[in-house]
Amino acid sequence: MEFLNPIAFYGLLALPLLLVPYLIRRKPRRVIFSSLLLFTEISSRSSGRPWGRLRLPPIFFLQLLLLTLLILALGEPVFSVRPNKIAIILDNSASMQALEDGKTRFALAKEKARNLLADLSVGGKVDLYLTAPRLEKIAGAPFAPSDAAGTIASLEPYDLGESPVDYNKSLGQLAAEQRYDRVYLLTDHPVRSQSGTARVISLGQPKDNLALTSFQVRRSSLANSRLEAAAEVTNFSAKDQRVRILLRGSGAVLASRELAVAAGKSASVVFEGFPLHPYYEAEIDVRDALPLDNRRFAVPAKSRELRILGISPRPQAVASLRSVPGVSVDVIAPADYERTDRSGYNLEIFHFSTPAVLPRNPALFVLPPDNSLVELARPISRPVVSSWREPHPLTRYINFTLLRPSYARPLRPKVAGEAIMESPDGPLAFAVESQGVRHLVLGFDPFPYLGRENLPVSIFTLNLLDWFFESAAGKETPTGELLSLGVTRQGDWLVTPKGEKIPLKPGQKNFPQTFTQGIYQLNRAGERELFAVNLQDTNESDLRALAPIEIRGETGSPSSSSAFFSFWPYLLLASLALLLLEWFINPRMARLGLHSSSNRMLSRL
Amino acid sequence: MLPEPFTPQFLSQLETFRLRTRKEFLGSHPGSYSAPRRGTSLEFADYRKYSLGDDLRYVDWGIYARTDRLYVKLFHEEVDLFAYIFIDASASMAFPTVEEKFLPASHIAVALSYVVLANQDHVKLHLLQGSSGDKASPFYRGRRRIADCINFAGSLKPAGSLAMAQALADHLRQFRRPGKAILISDFLVPTVSYQQALNLLRAFNLDISVIQVLSRREVDPSFPSGSLALVDSESQAEIKCQWDSSTRKSYQARLAQHNLQIRSFCHQSGIHYSLYVTDRNLGDFILATLPAIGLFK
Repeated sequence: MEFLNPIAFYGLLALPLLLVPYLIRRKPRRVIFSSLLLFTEISSRSSGRPWGRLRLPPIFFLQLLLLTLLILALGEPVFSVRPNKIAIILDNSASMQALEDGKTRFALAKEKARNLLADLSVGGKVDLYLTAPRLEKIAGAPFAPSDAAGTIASLEPYDLGESPVDYNKSLGQLAAEQRYDRVYLLTDHPVRSQSGTARVISLGQPKDNLALTSFQVRRSSLANSRLEAAAEVTNFSAKDQRVRILLRGSGAVLASRELAVAAGKSASVVFEGFPLHPYYEAEIDVRDALPLDNRRFAVPAKSRELRILGISPRPQAVASLRSVPGVSVDVIAPADYERTDRSGYNLEIFHFSTPAVLPRNPALFVLPPDNSLVELARPISRPVVSSWREPHPLTRYINFTLLRPSYARPLRPKVAGEAIMESPDGPLAFAVESQGVRHLVLGFDPFPYLGRENLPVSIFTLNLLDWFFESAAGKETPTGELLSLGVTRQGDWLVTPKGEKIPLKPGQKNFPQTFTQGIYQLNRAGERELFAVNLQDTNESDLRALAPIEIRGETGSPSSSSAFFSFWPYLLLASLALLLLEWFINPRMARLGLHSSSNRMLSRL
Repeated sequence: MLPEPFTPQFLSQLETFRLRTRKEFLGSHPGSYSAPRRGTSLEFADYRKYSLGDDLRYVDWGIYARTDRLYVKLFHEEVDLFAYIFIDASASMAFPTVEEKFLPASHIAVALSYVVLANQDHVKLHLLQGSSGDKASPFYRGRRRIADCINFAGSLKPAGSLAMAQALADHLRQFRRPGKAILISDFLVPTVSYQQALNLLRAFNLDISVIQVLSRREVDPSFPSGSLALVDSESQAEIKCQWDSSTRKSYQARLAQHNLQIRSFCHQSGIHYSLYVTDRNLGDFILATLPAIGLFK
């Protein structure tokens, strides 16, 4: 016998409350009697207790039985027979690496999965699935139980966030399409309710955790060549913590710093003045539930300059940026954009042009034709900047009374973003940032860059270059994202953080299997290039209260009905019969005087 | 008009009885009870030697024929009886109601009085209340005085507490003639108290009978189960207890033991004892039970 809703058994904890009305000594009823001569001894026996004597009439046991049956019925008990075909879905997201008494949740899940195999009937088949990077069947399925045990033993969790899956729908669909007798999901999410076919086995308990949620190594500004490393620590617990952060360069400790992090908050620390290394690693020196997010990696920008790709019908205007120190500019016509290799550029400037789809690189749009971000309003001449965001890196050092572009078209935003500068007719600068990629749309043309000859616009131009440089330099590749490799040739290979050497095909532009956090090393024509890949999902680090999984209704396939016999409706019927019996007996007992005051109180309830 | 149980048939049945005494008392008039003095009754008492002046009718000629000596037969004197009926009129006698306990007790007293009056003896009713002895009737004689007895018994309502020994002592202060004493009470008083009271009666050379009257609700209390604050009807003292079947059994055991102590004390002291539970038929109790214990002859 199994219970589909074992949470209902917490209701058993409330059973002792049934005793309370029987324990409470109510105000005694006054009765006059001829003489108390013979009562003195009896009274001294019962009045010594602070509580009333625990008197449990038969009706109490009836009530106890009634409540127990109701709780059992809520637990949805089913009789099950050995299934023939099952699916085991293992949650292999990053949070499954959290430790439970020295073992990872994933190791516990593997143990549970092996136990499930023992319940299979002779000749039963198993399909194995993983949830990350997406809910997918493991190649080679269906397995015989012995093969499945071997496959399960070889599985490892990924350093990936969880893909958004509606388990209620997916598990039911899986069971119906593949005609599984049962579908088991082994996860660290709590389970609220489940059905007969789709079973969720929850592993682990809520835990406190500290995580390094950001780590970037960059030049302090466009004009400055000094390196600085910024790390952010988030405290996913209910108490304040002090942690030590270590900065390593190519494995050697460069610096360390103490940091206080308030409960539920983040705190940042900046390291400066350290030597250049091929890669850096930050680590918080704590022993918490999830070691994975205690480390992060970063690689300094390959180039010390900001590489800009200008896409403009007026190449001269964008090319004027070459006069800015630390900036290199390549300008192409809008028609050549799709054909151009854009890897290696830190910024794309669309000058009076727009791409068919938004670029993955940071981009500046100057008076673009209508695109997915904004629409342009009617032109206006010499608009007044009536308001601006302050403080903001884009608006610092600018005297906006002097910033009067000769031609502008106010913007009509289509997406959520931030209006940086506004005229009375609408925004003139609109910034959008998604997944760490910055896009800025301008309703006026700041080009050509004229330096001191047009100081307010020049300062604004330098601000925006610095703003883009800051984001480009600190760009991290999240686990699970494509690693952009550029052009590869025969004999190139990639080394993963686990030390696996993967040969690359000629012309392969991307590497998709970035499932492990760490440094990926691309060996291209004898040159080594490093990529830092980090877990970028704070939901995986927050182990306090994961979203519960609720399976509503019976999701099984028609064949699965034979695997279960649900008898909770019979328990419910028995409870109702008992309720009627109690309703019938209780008033009669009261009439016969066999009824205690406590019972009267209960019956009144 | 006489109350309910005193029908003509019941009264005529009562007239067939006479109070039985185990002692001889000096009466004031000739009656039907033997006195310690020699008299002219038909009951032989003793012989004594003839002396001049003795009535020759009482010479026992048979003895004279055998012994050649003259002896005169002596006879008991038969006198009337003085009966004292003490009725407990404390508040406990009104539990659960006056009709359920005090009234039956007073009916017993009236019935006993009628037995006495029907034999042309004297009866005096005493009401025991508090610790004073001022509530007593005059002596009644003659069956027509039964109405006075009823009026006297019905004139008082049970109330207050009772100090049995003190109240009896106060009543006995005006006591002149010994006779039959009948004490009607629930005896729900401490052992020492009722023993002291009965010993006091014994000290006055009275022939004592005791009738204990209890209501059914005292013998078998039916309180609702649960926590109770029991209030004493006399002292208004309050005690708390948990009432259930086991408490009920404990109480009944204690009552049985208490009654046994009274019965045992009476037996040892030569006192007639009888228990009347008021849900029983009063006629049966008077006509059957009381003769059985030897109160009537």
